[in-house]
Amino acid sequence: MNELPEVPGLETARVLVVDDNRVNRHLLQALLERGGVTRIEMAEDGNDALARLGTFRPDLILLDLMMPNLDGFEMCRRLRAIPLWKDLPVLVQSSLNRAEDRAKAFAAGATDYVTKPINAVELLARVRIHLQNRALLHDLQCFRDRTESELSLARKMQERLMPSPERLAEAEAAAGVDIAAHFAPSSELGGDFWDLRHDAGERGPSRTMLYMVDFSGHGVGAALNTFRLHAICQQMDVSGLTPAEFLATVNRRLCALLPNGQFATMLAGVVEPAENRFVYASAGSTRPMVWAPGDSAPLLGDSAGLPLGLLASAEYEERSLPLPPGGRLFLYSDGAIEIPVGNDVLDEPGLAALVAERMGETDGGRLLDGLLERLRAIGPIDDDLTALLLTRKG
Amino acid sequence: MDYGIEDKEQETLVRLRGRLTFNDHAKLRALIREMLQNKAKRQVLDLSTLEFVDSAGIGMLLIAREEMANADKQLVLRSAAGQVKRVLTVAQLNKIVTIED
Repeated sequence: MNELPEVPGLETARVLVVDDNRVNRHLLQALLERGGVTRIEMAEDGNDALARLGTFRPDLILLDLMMPNLDGFEMCRRLRAIPLWKDLPVLVQSSLNRAEDRAKAFAAGATDYVTKPINAVELLARVRIHLQNRALLHDLQCFRDRTESELSLARKMQERLMPSPERLAEAEAAAGVDIAAHFAPSSELGGDFWDLRHDAGERGPSRTMLYMVDFSGHGVGAALNTFRLHAICQQMDVSGLTPAEFLATVNRRLCALLPNGQFATMLAGVVEPAENRFVYASAGSTRPMVWAPGDSAPLLGDSAGLPLGLLASAEYEERSLPLPPGGRLFLYSDGAIEIPVGNDVLDEPGLAALVAERMGETDGGRLLDGLLERLRAIGPIDDDLTALLLTRKG
Repeated sequence: MDYGIEDKEQETLVRLRGRLTFNDHAKLRALIREMLQNKAKRQVLDLSTLEFVDSAGIGMLLIAREEMANADKQLVLRSAAGQVKRVLTVAQLNKIVTIED
């Protein structure tokens, strides 16, 4: 059993008593002191109370309603308009005891209500509860703030796993391609990742290996796996490897790391300019799409293959698709085809039809943006969505 | 996701219904525990009324496969259709799990 936390020291809590009647103020003060509250300040009306907020910084206000100058209702409304005080517990103590008065006080932002004559035990019990709630809320807020800032930092780190604009421009120039990319995790972090490796060709022809990865699941766990995979790929010398050999090697290393139930789909490929082909291997990724200028629909490649991390001895098949100058290659994570449509999902043919509508667009970035906008209009995308559009320069 | 269990002579038949996704982790864990307590060696997951599975769902089926293997039981995935069948096929899961039509 979890023990409830101690009431955050009544002796350290700051309570502001607001009442125009001096006798009442002193009565409340004596009562609070008897209950263990030591830091008490008094205000004579709403204006006085508001003026003391900044210096006294109360943890709780005991508020009378009927007061001259600024009454309790209006003071409460003004208090709630200040963001810093929107969660401050305000315990109304009033001789007004009609239901309408209570309703009006709650509408003005009161947290709780007790009627005069004050019952000492009840008042102290309520003070205690509100201070405890405030402390719990504060803990939650701190936790949330810390988590948010950690996730935001992690998100920036994850974005940097992918090529920087400079590195991308270099690879584009070297490989004679343009690449438009989109990366949108479903929460702060995602399980998708893409990169490219350019070999200047000291040990063979110059070439660029492009790959896209999608780890099972999403969120923090999947994101941690993208860092693992990035490290594995960075350490590897890919220059002598075919895409199929590359996948087989990455798979062996991932198998040693991933717990049961986690895996990744991956597609790796190389543009072969002399053959006008995109040569690739797939570990259960989505089906790559290619088209040439003038085509009316994209051509879908086969992508069957065992995902990475399941079987160390897995081997991958080498496949290819035509990619002439001016031709385009479209890769995407499964978030793009798992969008619900009626009782089914969009699936690859549905996505291909949307691509076909936009094949006349010459600017790759605009084509991708338009396509993604269309996808979001179809239905909620509750998975990470990464998409890459590569255009071979003509 | 929702499921119903039927004990037959030679096998336990578990019919999965609806969508098997990231959010069903606790439910599938509970199902795996139930399957481990069953006597039958063959634990069949009937997927004919499963409409959708995402990658996390596939991961859970693979966990089930391993847990059954550890308990000397066999997991069979039967009668997948539609999107579920497409996903099992593209991932070539027949290489590591018994898949029946």
